Amino acid sequence: MKRHSILRHRLATLCLSILTVPFSATLPHAQEATTFPAVAAEIEVLSIHAATDLSAMEPLIRDFQALFPNTRIEFVEYVTNDLYAAAAEACRQGKALGDVLLSSSVDHLVKLANDGCARGIASPETAAAPRWANWRGDVFGFTFEPVVFVYNRSKVPAGDVPKTHLELADLLRLKPETYAGQVGTYDIRLSGIGFLLAFYDSQETTTTFGRLLESLGRAHAVIRCCTSQILDELEAGRLSIGYNMLASYAYARVRAGANLGIVMPADYTLVLSRGAMVPAHAPRADAGTRFVNYLLSSRGQEVSRREAFFFGAGGEMPPGVEGASSIVRTGIARPIAIGPALLAVQDHERRRRFISDWGRTLVEMSTP
Amino acid sequence: MVRREPSLFARLIVLIAMVLATGAAALTTAAWYYARAAANEAYDRLLVGAAYQMAEAVHVQDGTLTVELPMSAFELLALSERDRIFYRIVDTSGRTLTGYGDLPLPGSEPPAPDRPALSNGTFMGAPVRLVRASRAFADPSVQGRVDVVVAQTVEARTALARELTLRAVGLILAMSTLALGGTIFAIRHALKPMARVGAVLRERDPHDVTPITVATPRELRPFVSAINTFIARLKSRMDLMQQFVADTAHQIRTPLAALKSQVDLLSHHLGEPQARQHLARVEERVDQLSRLVGQLLSHAMISHRAGAVPFAPVDVTETVRRAIREAVPDTLDRDILTMLEVPPQPIEVRGDAISLKEAVKNVIDNAVRHGAATRLTVRLREENGTVEIEVEDDGPGIAPELWPRVVERFGAPSPGGSGLGLSIAADVLAAHGGSLGFRRDNENSFAVVMRIAGRAS
Repeated sequence: MKRHSILRHRLATLCLSILTVPFSATLPHAQEATTFPAVAAEIEVLSIHAATDLSAMEPLIRDFQALFPNTRIEFVEYVTNDLYAAAAEACRQGKALGDVLLSSSVDHLVKLANDGCARGIASPETAAAPRWANWRGDVFGFTFEPVVFVYNRSKVPAGDVPKTHLELADLLRLKPETYAGQVGTYDIRLSGIGFLLAFYDSQETTTTFGRLLESLGRAHAVIRCCTSQILDELEAGRLSIGYNMLASYAYARVRAGANLGIVMPADYTLVLSRGAMVPAHAPRADAGTRFVNYLLSSRGQEVSRREAFFFGAGGEMPPGVEGASSIVRTGIARPIAIGPALLAVQDHERRRRFISDWGRTLVEMSTP
Repeated sequence: MVRREPSLFARLIVLIAMVLATGAAALTTAAWYYARAAANEAYDRLLVGAAYQMAEAVHVQDGTLTVELPMSAFELLALSERDRIFYRIVDTSGRTLTGYGDLPLPGSEPPAPDRPALSNGTFMGAPVRLVRASRAFADPSVQGRVDVVVAQTVEARTALARELTLRAVGLILAMSTLALGGTIFAIRHALKPMARVGAVLRERDPHDVTPITVATPRELRPFVSAINTFIARLKSRMDLMQQFVADTAHQIRTPLAALKSQVDLLSHHLGEPQARQHLARVEERVDQLSRLVGQLLSHAMISHRAGAVPFAPVDVTETVRRAIREAVPDTLDRDILTMLEVPPQPIEVRGDAISLKEAVKNVIDNAVRHGAATRLTVRLREENGTVEIEVEDDGPGIAPELWPRVVERFGAPSPGGSGLGLSIAADVLAAHGGSLGFRRDNENSFAVVMRIAGRAS
């Protein structure tokens, strides 16, 4: 109890600077444009603005171009919060940010659609999408990505590998000297997806989440903007465990030869479906619609499962992942439904409070 | 030219269809209003529930108002899957705590705590349904009213209202179709007696002037009785006419007879051959005239009797005997052998004895006057239910090309004849459902054949 009040006191000095971060992060700071020239004679240009790794999207874009060889594709990469800020601003001005928006932060897309910034799509492909992955025919989830623990096999002995969220919290508490500064997760002030996942964790079990957050803070957890940075450090051996990582990215590293282990938490596994949306004022909405239909089509899904995101909508696991063979069949999958409930996640008052609580427990202890 | 009026059927159908269409339109409008009210009520509950949950989530922490919006409120609203959600929470000082800052507060007065205010509006270019709920705070640090406004687009309720209305319209259309079909059937059925009266009138014998006795519904009785009154008047006019003709003929015959006897007398006292010759011509004309008058009388009589006198069993043999007696004059300027061949059994038909006798008489008279040189044979037989009366003579007969015309009135008048004789016979036979025919066997035999359906048939 006493320790707690001291903790609070120390935090108070840092609080102000932390709180300003989510609001100053609206300035775009990570835009990279890549162009995929048309395979045949160019007829149209499709502009994709995405908060999704290009390496994951590339097989899908190439396959799309095999179907539509006359399309040049411009792919602009963002961090989730920047993408939302840019898209919301464009919508306010009656313009559009590209022809397709892709974001792992589906709550952003839902908020955009709720504000009338989306263009509806009705096609056989969208009709076949699961209900939880389709809102209003505006926002579609086109991937099935479990949220997992990732660990460096050479640094974490088999006995230490956590199977559940509670086990992770206990591990950090029982072996603070081993794992201090060795656990990485999202900085939810910078990453929309990090916020979304932390929010859903808090919804699943309030007590476990509180303990986990406290343990993370105590263990001086390392916070980063993006999955890739944490995975880089895990691979390099600077970190031992990554919490709330997207299985697709981690599995791509494993396939590429990284000595990483992936654990599907056995108590519950959040499942994120990356969102796709065509902006209301998209200049080439037909091409954008075609791309979204392609992503949802069985061909697109097959390419996605084989080469891009590795996990199918049925929950089947690729080899080498620890946990139940199908998180869907065993009932531990918790898909983040794309729907207006995500508006509660987006409520800025709630967001402010959540981030400040999170910062109070985690950042204060992990920041050197 | 009488203006063509639309049929009763068309009038009734058009009127009833108009009534049905008006009714269907009114019902559809009513259905739309009810459906919209029902849909609004259903979805308003969700909206009010969400507003309450949000209001409940407002609390005071460390002396300031704060809100942690519950996901369940949004999940409640997400029950109308396609609708967008807008909300705004205004704190005690009128500042927006969270949500869409430009969402208007509906109504100037805050709603009663137990009765949230519902209204319609537009937000971000879409029609929305708004609810405003208030919550009073009496905390030491926070006092006053917090307003929660929740707005939701109306796609789900419109869709529900439309679906309910469409179903109602389906029922209304089915009912209207049934009603119209039933009406068509009923009208056709109800108008049938009119067609029946028409058919009875159409199929009537031209000579038939008896009243119509067809059974009709009450509504048609004035119509039928008017027709019957008209028929009765027509009959009395016809009777008068025939009476007049008969009287006239009778009146002419008497002075003619007197005139004839005077001329007879006169012929015995005239010596001059020239005068004799003139007188003979006068006598001839008088004969001709008296015969014409006789036939006119006969014609008037049978015209009168046709359709007016009920048929009764007639002994044909007896009738033919009488006809011969009356037609063949006792005094003839040449010798004619008259024979009657009858079968042993009696022959009977249904008919009017007087008309039949007149017909046979006219045929025989015609044969005596224009044909028979030395022989006249009248045969009577019954074969296959048909009674045949054949009048054969050894005269020149009638040329076949004249056969169709001699049965017409004044169709082919012979020299000295009136042109009425055979037409009278043909009329009588037609009225009895029989016919008049001719037959030539050889140079010395010409026959007129009268056929009547026998008693048996």
